[in-house]
Amino acid sequence: MAEHMEMSEANPAAHGVLSSVGRPGAGPPPRNTQATAVALPAPLPEQLEEQLEVQLQQEPITHPDAQPRAQRWARRAMAGERWIARVLRTGAVMSGGMFVASLALELLPRGESVHVAIDLLRKGAASMLLVTPVARLAMAGTLLGLRGEWRYTAIAAGVLCLLALAVGAGFQA
Amino acid sequence: MASGLLAGGLGSLLGIGGGIVLVPVLVLGFGIPLEQAVPASLMCVVANSCAAAASYVENKLSDLRLGLTLELATVMGAIVGGLVAAFVAEAMVAVVFGLFTLFVSLQMLLLRTPLQEPVSTASYVPTNYPLGISGSFVAGGLSALLGVGGGPLKVPLMSYGMRVPFKVASATSNLMVGVTGAASVAAYAWRGHLNLGLVAPLVVGVLAGASVGSRLMPKVPTAVLKKLFAAVLLLVAGQMLWKGGEGLWPSIWK
Repeated sequence: MAEHMEMSEANPAAHGVLSSVGRPGAGPPPRNTQATAVALPAPLPEQLEEQLEVQLQQEPITHPDAQPRAQRWARRAMAGERWIARVLRTGAVMSGGMFVASLALELLPRGESVHVAIDLLRKGAASMLLVTPVARLAMAGTLLGLRGEWRYTAIAAGVLCLLALAVGAGFQA
Repeated sequence: MASGLLAGGLGSLLGIGGGIVLVPVLVLGFGIPLEQAVPASLMCVVANSCAAAASYVENKLSDLRLGLTLELATVMGAIVGGLVAAFVAEAMVAVVFGLFTLFVSLQMLLLRTPLQEPVSTASYVPTNYPLGISGSFVAGGLSALLGVGGGPLKVPLMSYGMRVPFKVASATSNLMVGVTGAASVAAYAWRGHLNLGLVAPLVVGVLAGASVGSRLMPKVPTAVLKKLFAAVLLLVAGQMLWKGGEGLWPSIWK
């Protein structure tokens, strides 16, 4: 028993119990200390600790059915590409619809209001068509940036700046 | 509208925009001046890109990252091309480009052992980025110097130079030509050369053609697409050699 007491005092953690609070017959605890005995877990082997750490990093447990990070990234990537496709399709369909409407208006008897409507529709359609690929470029840069691929965001920004410069200077890219 | 339909279908299948078909048809078939035909065809290239790229992006046929990287080089090349245009003999550049496209088209037509391409478009990694970037820079410069789209140069560059599957190269080129085309049209519109009365029926036709072409493209065998592309390249080569010959002939005659 005396041997045991010596060992636990020399290395209290080896038995998983704090020596000052857990020993039977040690008397009342000093003031301002916790009176309950706290059983400490035995230290884990280093390899097991590393494994647990990796697992925790891979799967942050926020809620019980949380998905692995790779799956969430893949889902975000898919959603991003779907958004780019939506932007392109919306631009093309709306512009096409406006051009079709302008062609349909040409069948009506010519008048001032019809002429103005045709002109407005065509200008709107052309503007929408020209803005669509630029919006796609900006969106692709933003989405890749949100995924952490900042290099492509910088490239997209560079392309947009150069295009603005080219259009401003009157070059044909 | 019918020529727009043809240009849209062909452009979306091959990633070349469709201007190569439209300009000769408008100029030779309808007698429209070149100053109006070129911006109208560029507008159709933008329409084609928007309509077809939507489907390609959704089906993961377009490589967004590769497209962005090469786009930067193309725009830089186009600006440099615009700057040096005054100091370069356009006819000579046209002849060189014509000979190059002739070589590429004949190689594509006559090659008996096609390159092994990955079955899935997701299982490839583009290689040789320096070649791709420098080639795109040249393509941008040529597009500014000669008024040709970058597609006929960029698709073989990506396919043969960077080992990108042909369909992915075509879809990525389709995505890229929209942005550069929009910038070119804006420059023309700025100068008042855009005839919207001419553009309206063409764009409607192109949108319909691109919609059909983008649905057909994943189903058409790559070998057929390559042969079709080679045939279109032969047309480009002919146009360029004609253009260059017209410019060089008087000086040789003297």
